[in-house]
Amino acid sequence: MLNEKIDRRDLLLAGAGLALAGCGVGNSGGGSKKETEKVVKAKVDGDLVYFNWSEYLDPALIKKFEKQYGVKVRQSNFDSMSSMMAKLRSGNRYDVIFPDQSFAPKLIAANQLLKIDKSKLKNYDNVWKFFHDPAYDPGAEHTVPYGLYATGVIWNEDKISGMKGSWADLFRTDAKGKIYMLDDFQECLGMANLRHGFDLSTVDPDEIEQSKQMLIDQKPLLRGYSTDDIQNMINGNAWIHHGWNGDVVNLRNQVKNPESYRFEKCKEGIPVGSDTMAIPANAEHPGTALLFIDFMLDPENASQNVAYFGYPMAVTGAEAAFAKIAKDDPAVAITVDDVKNGQQFANLTGKDKALWDRAWTEVKAA
Amino acid sequence: MSEQRFATTLLIPGGLWLLLCFAVPLGLVLAASFGSTDDLGNTIYGWHPDNYRQAFDPLFVPVLLRSVGYALATVALCLLIGYPVAYYIARYGGRWKHMLIALVVLPFFVNYLVRTYAWVAMLADEGLVNGAITNLGIRDSGIKFLNTDFAVIGGLVYGYLAFMILPIYAAIDRMDQALVEAGKDLYGTPWNTFRHVTWPATFQGVLAGAVLVFLPAVGDFISAQLLGGPGTYMVGNLIQQQFLGADNWPFGAALTTLLMAFLSVWMVLYLRSAARASRETAL
Repeated sequence: MLNEKIDRRDLLLAGAGLALAGCGVGNSGGGSKKETEKVVKAKVDGDLVYFNWSEYLDPALIKKFEKQYGVKVRQSNFDSMSSMMAKLRSGNRYDVIFPDQSFAPKLIAANQLLKIDKSKLKNYDNVWKFFHDPAYDPGAEHTVPYGLYATGVIWNEDKISGMKGSWADLFRTDAKGKIYMLDDFQECLGMANLRHGFDLSTVDPDEIEQSKQMLIDQKPLLRGYSTDDIQNMINGNAWIHHGWNGDVVNLRNQVKNPESYRFEKCKEGIPVGSDTMAIPANAEHPGTALLFIDFMLDPENASQNVAYFGYPMAVTGAEAAFAKIAKDDPAVAITVDDVKNGQQFANLTGKDKALWDRAWTEVKAA
Repeated sequence: MSEQRFATTLLIPGGLWLLLCFAVPLGLVLAASFGSTDDLGNTIYGWHPDNYRQAFDPLFVPVLLRSVGYALATVALCLLIGYPVAYYIARYGGRWKHMLIALVVLPFFVNYLVRTYAWVAMLADEGLVNGAITNLGIRDSGIKFLNTDFAVIGGLVYGYLAFMILPIYAAIDRMDQALVEAGKDLYGTPWNTFRHVTWPATFQGVLAGAVLVFLPAVGDFISAQLLGGPGTYMVGNLIQQQFLGADNWPFGAALTTLLMAFLSVWMVLYLRSAARASRETAL
């Protein structure tokens, strides 16, 4: 009887498998190496399909690029690295994407990113030397650096003061219901790891268990989990927000009382990292994508972008734009040394990734 | 061609549609629910019943109970709001009847997600509504609407109200007005006439509305995601997180399969009740 049941299920599975094969779905499991070595000319070959965080690139630059090259930029946004991966996995095709240093290696290993021929980029020499051979992409074969970031705490001084420069500020009972955490498994578990004094990317099950518990205990104080730190601060739902350094600069540009919005790096240590620009191997318009990446490496454009989004770009000639921001508020500063020496999220794989995912699901469900 | 064969031919387009857009995706979900994942989070098809074992973790019981609780509250509120609306339109709508029904359906021309975002903008702590409240001096500080249980239930009611109104409207519209007059002729008070005549005669419409609201509300994730807070996690959010946040489609697929099985029970109970009711009317 039992056997018969399993047989029937197997039959069903086989049927579903056939259907799968018929539809050609589920073939995104890593392309071939050859696919990533396509020769691409830096020439317009269609409209640019663009996939990035929201408010993470000056919209005026998008308009400028459209005008300069006579193309349309078709934009869509993700709100976490995981949701970016999910969109790629389900077979969506983009021309330019912005993975961070912990997810780029996954895509590279699976042959999902095109090799970028640096001789096709007129402005490549502007890229800071450190990023010509970063650990996440040896030889920088598949990626070009974008913004450098640090994670800390954003708050509104009009609403709450007496911040201590510690992750404990995200646990203040006098701001109950006005605190947001980033809706991101790495950022949340990473914060708890640092507060416990563990390694940022620990994969010790006991330590992850303790960090998970810390996040669960924090939930009654929270208003929500969201990566939209800019809008949550502006609309007043958040007084204190687990957030990114540049976003506080970006949000100051959008309010009447910019001096009220502050950012602190926490003394227990902070995650630092860098985002990248990359071209998926299945991009339909890789030529336009190359032009776009080159366009962003132009010192003038990079400077304009830095002034808009508040993060330094690893581009020679754009330093002044960020120095101006950092002079007004040293708290938001981040340098290449910070990235070199700071704690970066590791590329978690296999069992370790499952351990973090499971803990995060439990936090959310609790 | 015989009439029968012609009728069978007519089934082909609909049948193909159901096969391609319902049976095949359902098969994919079932197949994925027994799979595992690689480092990129891609599904590897195979035989891993572990996903189901994990789904029965007691950790998820409160999430399911919360979802059912929200959905039941939604059904109750939709009934309270929807029945009078349907009653009024069916009985007193007159020549405006069709216009009024069109107005009930009108919000559906705009996507549910977009409409929910509109609520976020209106109900934020320093949003439109709270701005009006403080500016008019009604209260010193605004009211916290968002990220509460009420906001989630409100979003669900707003999203699914029409599913309650339409079947009840149809039932009241279909009901023979003479029955109500007969009730009154027998000296029934308005309440007694409603309780013993109108309500039983339209009960199948109420039941249909309740099922149509309950099923999508249990599985909804948009309302809890946009209007809810850290403590309003629903089954739909749990499933969505497996697909978009945790790179674990197989576990998400297993949860989906179990949720569908759970909802099917209610559907079957409803269908049996509807069949019994139509047998009784036929007698």
